[in-house]
Amino acid sequence: MHAEALSALGNLFGDRLRTSLETRICYSFDATRKTFLPDAVVYPANAEEVRQTVLLANLHRFPVVPRGAGTGFSGGSLPVRGGVVLSTERMDRIVSIDTENLYAVVEPGVVTETIKEEARKRGLFYPPDPASLKFSTIGGNIAECAGGMSAVKYGVTRDYVLGLEAVLGTGELLRTGVATAKGVVGYDLTRMLVGSEGTLGIVTRATLRLLPHPEAAVTLLALFPTNRDAAAAVNAVVASRVTPSAMEIMDRTAIDCVQAVAKVPLPEGTGSALLFEADGTTDSAAREADRIEDACRAHGALEVRRASDAKGRDELWKLRRSISPTLLQIGAVKLNEDIVVPRSRLADMFDFLSDLSGRSDVRIVNFGHAGDGNIHVNIMISGADKDETRRAEEAVAAVFRKTVEMGGTISGEHGVGISKAPFLEMEVGPLGVAVMKRLKECFDPNGILNPGKIFLDEAAVRA
Amino acid sequence: MRDADLKELTGLCAKCGTCRTVCTLYPERKAEIAVARGKIALIEAAMRGEDGDAEAVQEALTDCLLCGRCERACPNQVVVEEIVMKGRADLAEEVGIPAWKRVLFGKVMPSPAATGIARKAAAAGQRLLPGKIPTASGLHYRFPDGLGGKGRTVPKLPAVGFLDSLGKAEAAAGEVMLFVGCVFDHVFPEVGRAAYETVKASGKSVAVFRDAACCGLPAMVSGDRRSAMECAEANVRRLRAAEPGAIVFPCGSCLLMFKRNVFSLLPKGSPGYDDAVYVAERAVDYASFLLSSGVLDRIPDPPPDQKVGEIGYHDPCHLSGTLGKGPEAREVLSRAVGPAFAEMAGADLCCGYGGTFNVRDYPTSARIGGNKVTVAARGGTKVISTGCSGCVLQMRDMAARTDPALRVVHIAELVHDALFRK
Repeated sequence: MHAEALSALGNLFGDRLRTSLETRICYSFDATRKTFLPDAVVYPANAEEVRQTVLLANLHRFPVVPRGAGTGFSGGSLPVRGGVVLSTERMDRIVSIDTENLYAVVEPGVVTETIKEEARKRGLFYPPDPASLKFSTIGGNIAECAGGMSAVKYGVTRDYVLGLEAVLGTGELLRTGVATAKGVVGYDLTRMLVGSEGTLGIVTRATLRLLPHPEAAVTLLALFPTNRDAAAAVNAVVASRVTPSAMEIMDRTAIDCVQAVAKVPLPEGTGSALLFEADGTTDSAAREADRIEDACRAHGALEVRRASDAKGRDELWKLRRSISPTLLQIGAVKLNEDIVVPRSRLADMFDFLSDLSGRSDVRIVNFGHAGDGNIHVNIMISGADKDETRRAEEAVAAVFRKTVEMGGTISGEHGVGISKAPFLEMEVGPLGVAVMKRLKECFDPNGILNPGKIFLDEAAVRA
Repeated sequence: MRDADLKELTGLCAKCGTCRTVCTLYPERKAEIAVARGKIALIEAAMRGEDGDAEAVQEALTDCLLCGRCERACPNQVVVEEIVMKGRADLAEEVGIPAWKRVLFGKVMPSPAATGIARKAAAAGQRLLPGKIPTASGLHYRFPDGLGGKGRTVPKLPAVGFLDSLGKAEAAAGEVMLFVGCVFDHVFPEVGRAAYETVKASGKSVAVFRDAACCGLPAMVSGDRRSAMECAEANVRRLRAAEPGAIVFPCGSCLLMFKRNVFSLLPKGSPGYDDAVYVAERAVDYASFLLSSGVLDRIPDPPPDQKVGEIGYHDPCHLSGTLGKGPEAREVLSRAVGPAFAEMAGADLCCGYGGTFNVRDYPTSARIGGNKVTVAARGGTKVISTGCSGCVLQMRDMAARTDPALRVVHIAELVHDALFRK
């Protein structure tokens, strides 16, 4: 970056511009564990400072990469072409919560759990619950359109974004959407920005839809001999006219992985596990739990455990929650994919993965959101063995091809970033890519915002 | 940086960001460099030879309270405290450590005689301190601004420490050894005294460890591995020679030193290792010892006029967090003061002391600590009790600054009052 650009940023930010190598190192990574050094880091306090940064970027032609908590799995916040990392950490206020009209206005740096907690204190509910909700920020959730376990009933981040304020790549401040329950005036620019990975605009404020908070929840853990039994139970639950607020699946690979560390007592022959939540009023949650239990038992469950108190529920969640922490103990590197297939094809995909693991001679651990057909495919490798890494990368490509062939999508909630950029066209086709590029041109004509993401970029792929 | 172990330890960090949610310092700094994940990235870069400025990395690693919250929350069980301490030690060898710390850790702390002399000199100096203003409690002096941090208060140092107050033959040998630690000997001898009297009331014969060098934790966390090792080695050797059945620690940080940290200084195969194991097996926190000793059965019923719920307990990071000894202290309090004890608002918030952190960045330390005691006081607590010398030091300062009516005590003082109530 030019000295002139840095000095202009210095005038704007004072000591909130950092250029020391130490600080740049601290903003060079995310949860992909890849690293790209930025030239500088800025900590804006408001939308105007974000706007000024982007205006300077247009003048001096440097990339601006928005970053929330840097917890993404696709590289969305990595400064692959250097430039300025714009950290939203200091824009972390909940501006207001409207308890009559059920919405919250928040700045991008608020940690998602804080929004959930503040809403809950008022009897309200912000449903999206990505696994990272305790540390990821709402800005990042919006940029990647984060999902979570409750998506099966409540949907994902985009379903709760009513309106946005965002700085476009031109430096213009755009306001989109509404603060009302409905709104169909013009193109849906709000949805355009949600999931755009910081390539079209930098969100500086969001209006989020809230719901009344459900009063009770029941958790069930059902254990099955095979994935086919579990998948049949999932379909039976849906057919029994119940929508659980979570419907998680772990196949044998995931169960074995957890059992090596956590030791949850399971019946002999457990090859697949489903975890359900039913929420609502105390009565309705219990009734729905009954139906879930019946459906599981009718489809070969070896055992069904159930709890409605906090401690008991916590105990049942242990198996599911222990997966991610134990994964790293198997391999130093995990290629973490989040494919989605039609729910009816879940069992087929599990069979394919099991077969692929054998064929490619790499360990693959699978779990995910069964209700959405969303499978987290974790390919575990040491990172030191070149041939193993190559086999793993080929396996990833095979998984993606199979997913698209089944009518699914290669990313349910992590986004494209750099890690799935090579596969974008495979899913959306050449015209899809071309239209996306035209839209990018319209929002960010000089290619200032988060360059190298979504679309294939050689600099990023090299890493 | 050259510590080979570091590479393996840092390799486990998945950069997931969980540490950001629990870090005591992060809300103050709001920058990645403050949290474990950032510090680990710096160490990794340094090990790859990418660090530009060793002093800047040292500065970043020093900016940590070592409260251990990140470590306990980490899904991959990354041993952040050990990583930060190892990193500090490596850098201390490259860059050196500040002169004041070198003298304190290298000369004063390893020597029992020198710590006593230092206190006497400081107490005498305090009497001469210009512009000292006694605060409302009368126990603290307010420091002149510009000397050690604006608004800082320091405890009035006693002329006679706890160990010096004992008769020559008193508590010289016994089956239970009491390790009072520097602060409860020199700064708050009344705590050392209360711990001694209450442990003695168990009926067991009690020896007070006289040859105590500093536990070594302040030197260790500052990267002064050599001074820390000297303290640790001398302590475990002398402690073992006394052949105690149990070694009781009124201070959680001293206890952590002998339970865990000592093994990083005296690892398996080193000459002091066997002594360290011997000591670690016998080391016990004050509350656990009281519970097992039966002494609490002798406490008379609490007086009827006592205020319900006005006494709280502050969880020291090392004692409640790392060592998991939170329930024991609460059980002791329930038995000693009855319904006067109630769970305190923000009980597990770090006090912000962080040992030498308090000296290098007093304003930040005071904001964290001020918030701590304010949250407690707003929740209705009138007396904050705890079990670590650093926390007592810090919270007494904070109380003197924000709310002089708020008392900060060691649980031993409350047990002592209850046990010997007339």
